[in-house]
Amino acid sequence: MDAIIARLPEFVQAIEAIREIVLANVVLLGQIPSPTFQEQHRTVAFLERLTQAQVDECTTDGYRNPVGIVRGTDSSRPPIFVVAHLDTPFGKEVDHDYTVGENDIIGPGVLDNSVGVGVLASLPLIFRHLDLRFAADIVLAGVIQSMGRGNLRGVRHLLKTWPTPIGGAVALEGFELGRLDHYSDGMLRAEIECRIRSEHTPGHGHDPRFRPNPILVLNEAINKILEIRLPQRPRSQVIVGRISGGLKHGVIPYSAQLGIEIQSTSHQMVKSISDQIQDLVTGLRYEHEVDTDLKIISNVKAARLPFHHPLVKAAGRIISALGIQPSLSHSESELSVFLSRHIPAVALGLTFGENLHQLDARMEIAPLSRGIAQVLGVLLALDGGICHG
Amino acid sequence: MDDTWLKQNTFHYKDFQDIENLVAVKAEKGLTISLCLPTLNEEKTIGKEIVILRSELMTRFPLIDEIVVVDSGSTDRTGEVARAFGAEFYRADDILPELGPRRGKGENLWKALYITRGDIIVYLDADIKNIHHRFAYGLIGPLVLKDGIRYAKAFYDRPIATGKNVVRPTGGGRVTELVIRPLFSIYFPELTQILQPLSGEYAAYRDILEQVPFPIGYGIETSLILDICQRWGMDVICQVDLEKRIHRNQDTRALGKMAFVVMQTFFRRLNRLGALSLGPPMHNQMIQYRLVGDAYLPELFNCDGLERPPMIDVPAYRNKFERRRPTAENGAEIVPGVDKDDLGD
Repeated sequence: MDAIIARLPEFVQAIEAIREIVLANVVLLGQIPSPTFQEQHRTVAFLERLTQAQVDECTTDGYRNPVGIVRGTDSSRPPIFVVAHLDTPFGKEVDHDYTVGENDIIGPGVLDNSVGVGVLASLPLIFRHLDLRFAADIVLAGVIQSMGRGNLRGVRHLLKTWPTPIGGAVALEGFELGRLDHYSDGMLRAEIECRIRSEHTPGHGHDPRFRPNPILVLNEAINKILEIRLPQRPRSQVIVGRISGGLKHGVIPYSAQLGIEIQSTSHQMVKSISDQIQDLVTGLRYEHEVDTDLKIISNVKAARLPFHHPLVKAAGRIISALGIQPSLSHSESELSVFLSRHIPAVALGLTFGENLHQLDARMEIAPLSRGIAQVLGVLLALDGGICHG
Repeated sequence: MDDTWLKQNTFHYKDFQDIENLVAVKAEKGLTISLCLPTLNEEKTIGKEIVILRSELMTRFPLIDEIVVVDSGSTDRTGEVARAFGAEFYRADDILPELGPRRGKGENLWKALYITRGDIIVYLDADIKNIHHRFAYGLIGPLVLKDGIRYAKAFYDRPIATGKNVVRPTGGGRVTELVIRPLFSIYFPELTQILQPLSGEYAAYRDILEQVPFPIGYGIETSLILDICQRWGMDVICQVDLEKRIHRNQDTRALGKMAFVVMQTFFRRLNRLGALSLGPPMHNQMIQYRLVGDAYLPELFNCDGLERPPMIDVPAYRNKFERRRPTAENGAEIVPGVDKDDLGD
């Protein structure tokens, strides 16, 4: 580890010298709209960038995740994965126009996760520029269908079908530098929908002024969710994150939707809370004479590397050596899929910024070289066998 | 209508996407290439253009030897952003100051001839939102690979960003379709094969750019085509499909001014060629009206139609580049035919 730590300043300096390559990839790939389930254009462009960088093998897996493999020197070693999700929360109708200023890049999705994808696409050239060679194969995977309803399908499929054991992984997240995620809470994301029944719609004899109000029914659902007793251990919570419905102020709506997320360090607890919410949603259906559904849109099993795991400790040392305070936390992203398959993995943030999921998301340019240097350090640690003593 | 030129001299940028090969042929021929970005308050797009072009065509593949920004007096942070990413930044007024200051895109392009070093000069507008290195290598490609081609001109689809982060699928090129194409159709039908004569992206060998005059404003694209065609013929010109280009939309009034300048340039050239006798002098003022309260108030836009002489006529340039005016068969220097009135000094 000491040898790796000693090389970090050299990494930072060398990356700084070719920073425009990384910034160009952030812009060229980030300006391609890539909403979940519609990542094709960004996938093609990402693969093109890997091909142009003369990566040894470039392909897509059976689920159309683009993958590049930088061949290592020892074919008997299990590969090390570096992943970044290709999808963004913005639709194709949004103009993905980035502005590159002296110190920052501004544009929709730049922090989540154009910078991650841009860095991933730049790694082959950075390896070459620094003359870094690895014993293990380095698998660079841009994964699709990660966010929201995507439910991490891309990375799940990639790992499920990968033919060999995997030695370790790093998930790249744009925001924020210092982030060192080493565990995933159990999580279940669901939408509750409430609709009035057909006999209450106009033309069925009922006075429309007195039909059930789906928004009020969902209000009742929220109240009942808040009444669920949540244990302090395992730590658990239910987040009511979205609500929508209605046409205009003076009309009782036909339908309404509620988005919730259950989080817990125990997957059993997630299941238990989910069952309770399912029951109360069913109960509301009869109490209020409406149709209700609870639709699960994604779920993640709780999994973790303990904070004293050698990979976590090594990553923490590397981040600290770069002058950044490591922030140990959790992530219910690609990381959770690796951990649930018992593959040692961490998620790392790459830079600082603000307005994460807004149209004017802003990433800072200057910290990025340290963010990339930490990734190189962690890859070298994994390649050096940090997880095997 | 003979469309031989259209068939033979129209390319697609993908014909030239083997950048490694372009670099190899460039080296073999001993060429140098300069990229010039003319600017006026382009802080929102200039950084992106420099970063991508520098990354792809300088750092990764040494196709371009220098990126130069020539600015008309921006009041925003165009200069700071350009310098932050390693471009050479010049105020147009600081270049050849003894020739006096002028304002306009053509002025910037003309002065770029003095401060750049390349045998080939690539001009790209600085307001391209979807900048990609194909905009440069697509234009460089035919100049490097196709013998006889000396001037490469871009054409593309032109979606317009209408603001509020929404992109419309079509539009743009209104001055082309409403002004220059009808004029070409009337006087020079063969030039209608040039699909977007007003596109702001083109590249050429220095040895032809230095021999033609440069209108200081919007007329530069029109004059380059007419002058190059007149002196060297259409076969030295090609056009390259760069596919989609997204730029800022301009309102009709702004396009009206552009149309005025384009027509002014066109008719001057026509007059010089003897194809049209203009009679009384043309007026140099575009007049537009605005309704303010109950009154229609005129807004005047002055355009003197000034042109800079061929750069080869500037002694400081000839000294710097150790160049001479082209000579005729009898050894006499050829002085390019520019009206004295057009010299701008």
